[in-house]
Amino acid sequence: MGTASLAVSAAHLEAVSWSVTGASITGATRDVPVASIGARVALEIQNVSLAFGGVTALSAVDLSVARGEIRAVIGPNGAGKSSLINVISGLYRPDSGRVQVGGQAFTRVPTARLSRLGVTRTFQHLALFPNLSVLDNVAVGLAGSAHATFVEQILGLGRAATEAAETRQRALETIALVELDEVKDRIVGTLPYGLQKRVDLARALVSHPKIILLDEPMAGMTATEKRRMAQFVRAARDRFGAAVVLIEHDIGVVMDLSDRIAVLDYGRKIADGTPAEVRADQAVIDAYLGVAHDDELIEDAA
Amino acid sequence: MTAIALETSVPSRRLPRWLPILAILIAAYGIIPAIGTSYLFEAILLPFLALSLAALGLNILTGYAGQLSLGSAAFMAVGAFAAYNFNLRIPGLPLIVSLFLAGLTAAAFGILFGLPSLRLRGFYLAVSTLAAQFFVKWALTRFGWLSNYNSSGVIDAPPLTLFGLQFQGPLGRYLFALTIVVVLTALAARLMTTRSGREFIAIRDNEIAAKVFGVSIFRTKLLAFGLSSFIIGVAGFLWAFAYLRTVEPDGFNLDRSFSILFIIIIGGLASIRGAFFGAALIVVFPLLLSRLGALIFGGVFDSGVLDMSQRIVIGALIILFLIAEPSGLVALWDRLTRKFLVRR
Amino acid sequence: MSDFDYSFLLEVLIGGLLSGVMYSLVAIGFVLIYKTSGVLNFAQGAMVLFAALTFVGILEHGVPFFVSLLLTLLIMAVLGVAVEQSVLRPLVNRPPITLFMATLGLAYILEGAAQLIWGAQVHGLNLGFDDKPIALGEVLVSSFDLFAAAVAATMVALLSAFFRFTRTGLAFRAVADDQFAALAVGLRLPVIWAIVWTAAGFVALVAGLLWGARLGVQFSLSLIVLKALPVLVLGGFDSILGAIVGGLLVGASEKLAEVYIGPLFGGGIEIWFAYVAALALLLIRPSGLFGVKLVERV
Repeated sequence: MGTASLAVSAAHLEAVSWSVTGASITGATRDVPVASIGARVALEIQNVSLAFGGVTALSAVDLSVARGEIRAVIGPNGAGKSSLINVISGLYRPDSGRVQVGGQAFTRVPTARLSRLGVTRTFQHLALFPNLSVLDNVAVGLAGSAHATFVEQILGLGRAATEAAETRQRALETIALVELDEVKDRIVGTLPYGLQKRVDLARALVSHPKIILLDEPMAGMTATEKRRMAQFVRAARDRFGAAVVLIEHDIGVVMDLSDRIAVLDYGRKIADGTPAEVRADQAVIDAYLGVAHDDELIEDAA
Repeated sequence: MTAIALETSVPSRRLPRWLPILAILIAAYGIIPAIGTSYLFEAILLPFLALSLAALGLNILTGYAGQLSLGSAAFMAVGAFAAYNFNLRIPGLPLIVSLFLAGLTAAAFGILFGLPSLRLRGFYLAVSTLAAQFFVKWALTRFGWLSNYNSSGVIDAPPLTLFGLQFQGPLGRYLFALTIVVVLTALAARLMTTRSGREFIAIRDNEIAAKVFGVSIFRTKLLAFGLSSFIIGVAGFLWAFAYLRTVEPDGFNLDRSFSILFIIIIGGLASIRGAFFGAALIVVFPLLLSRLGALIFGGVFDSGVLDMSQRIVIGALIILFLIAEPSGLVALWDRLTRKFLVRR
Repeated sequence: MSDFDYSFLLEVLIGGLLSGVMYSLVAIGFVLIYKTSGVLNFAQGAMVLFAALTFVGILEHGVPFFVSLLLTLLIMAVLGVAVEQSVLRPLVNRPPITLFMATLGLAYILEGAAQLIWGAQVHGLNLGFDDKPIALGEVLVSSFDLFAAAVAATMVALLSAFFRFTRTGLAFRAVADDQFAALAVGLRLPVIWAIVWTAAGFVALVAGLLWGARLGVQFSLSLIVLKALPVLVLGGFDSILGAIVGGLLVGASEKLAEVYIGPLFGGGIEIWFAYVAALALLLIRPSGLFGVKLVERV
């Protein structure tokens, strides 16, 4: 049993000191075996470590994501969650370990081939194209599968015309899925934050990916907006059978939405299992979930 | 660059989009030739057309694709000299083919000097484009072969012919240049509505995100450099063959590169119309200034004073526009016309 | 035969290094501004021209040397404040590229104004120093170059001391490090920036005098000064040490290239060599020799 020093007040949640002592933190990553996981693994992170200068972002992290499952990754700020997503999407090169995706193993995932591997992502800080319309932003999500040369495009010949029509069709479908039809021609930079987040999601969904990495897709949203986003995420999984890696701070959403949860702390995985198991995990309770009942306060303060 | 309202997404419910364009074409092809004086063509319209085209090219690269280039005049020079040499050394080659090949040559140089953009951003890229500027300028003076060993270094441009038709005289050259500009502008406008055009803007707005979703940064940037330099090369051809009627390296110096950049800043970055608005101002303004100056200051206002005053005012305009109207004359125009055309 | 080659090489090298010191001086003006405000001041070259022309103009009206110097310094100070108020402040939250383009506009204004006021002809500038070649062993070195290098080195030393040992220097470093933190501790950015631009103006004046004495004060001064850009590329835009090393490298390699490689190309390669070399370096190390590598956080 460890002792945790927590500031219970919701306002301090983000700045709380996660000092956990005891055996639960040292290397005890309980990877819960999912039935026939081998055949259904969409993404696997093996022993990945990453440090920036003197700061350890990730430390020997293992993570497996099965096809069609919603896998949450939670933990306090600085626990390494975004770094994990950046490693999976190839933006960071890990110091050690491998990422297995699309049937191939990589030391550094080739970002340029990400869409071909069936992986897409959203960004914590949006990373949209503010001067393009919503429709165009979403259309870029299909850039990886477009092959017509610029000459063909200008002349509107065969392949270019088909691609353009298909792209438009798919973009419109995805926009309908996230209920953005009314603003589809608006310039993204002029939209309110919540809608921009949805555009970010739509862009990640349009290619019907096999793996979607969601980096805090609900940050800064109201409770209602969060509920809707959760619906869209679930719809995406149900419609496309995609595996979702979800980074999220709102524990309520996470418990509700995910099939399995991994908990990171100081770059290490300290727990891994179903929501019920994680909720009951002593180490996690001590470190983290003691303030679960303050969810309402958290939302107001956010 | 602050958010720029793109042409493709400004809904114009008042007039059909093609109407103003048709009006302009009618004016350009029908009215102006009828009433235009020699002076109008030689001193105003021809340089305007050449500079607009160069600015259009640069806008594709710098405005839409976000790759800052300070060496555009170098590519104009390549276009002009390449056209001259193709025309000279391959007898019987139609001028239009020389023109096309010249554009391709400029595009090749553009891609070569654009390779650094794959590794460099912003200021670093700008400095490397200066390398193009200085290198090309040196090469053109150094290799006399390019000027056909002309002792004065100034070459006369050959006559303009297109499909057997001779385009002579100010009016003829104007129509020649006009047609080329119209065709290339149409193609450029079309490009910006396609996926590639979209990808230019995407890599400007957020290169990493574009990469994540499968936009080939390599191909897109080089395409931007290539297309832009092609157009700028053709503009150089027009500048030398249609406007000045001489082909010389001096006109393609650093100042020229800066003027083209200023044209798109003042006219409006990432805007097809911006190139034309800006060029109009840059061409007409010195003429207005010299008239005004002569009027107010009389004889003191010689060409030296004119040059310097021009520099001051243009510099001031740049700063003014960046502060007050960063989206350029185009945005100003749109705001004014919207006030008048939109009735509630 | 081999002896002669070596001493000639040494001559060229030293000559290059000395002119490199002068490039460094111009580059330091850039660095000062970039470090504290993130702006790449393309107008630095124009400031050099403006300062030199102003000084020469005043001098030619019969004003004594040091009074002219002081007057010019004063004018550069006023210019610094004016730039901060009319250009920097209105554009304070804009992306760096906008500010860069504004400095392009500023360069035009300064070039035009300088020549409008003082005329566009070449002015000779005599700093009271005869350019007698000095013999160091078997190597001939221009005494003016030595003098210029000494002056430049002194300025660099003074600037470094200023940054390290004075309160204002400390403030500069604070602002260069983190503008928001500097604001938070109560440093008034507009004041700092006005001082920085004035300091850059002083540096420009010294550079202008040295280059002007060497080549005559004329418009092409601002072009030569553009050479400082490859220096910055090599040394990083935010490092004074880098500016020094970069300047020396550019100066030396340029001269050596002109003498030894130039003939292969028919001469005149000094115009572009520095740029192409900088370009080549950038392709290997995109952030320059000393520049800070940016980790892009998504």
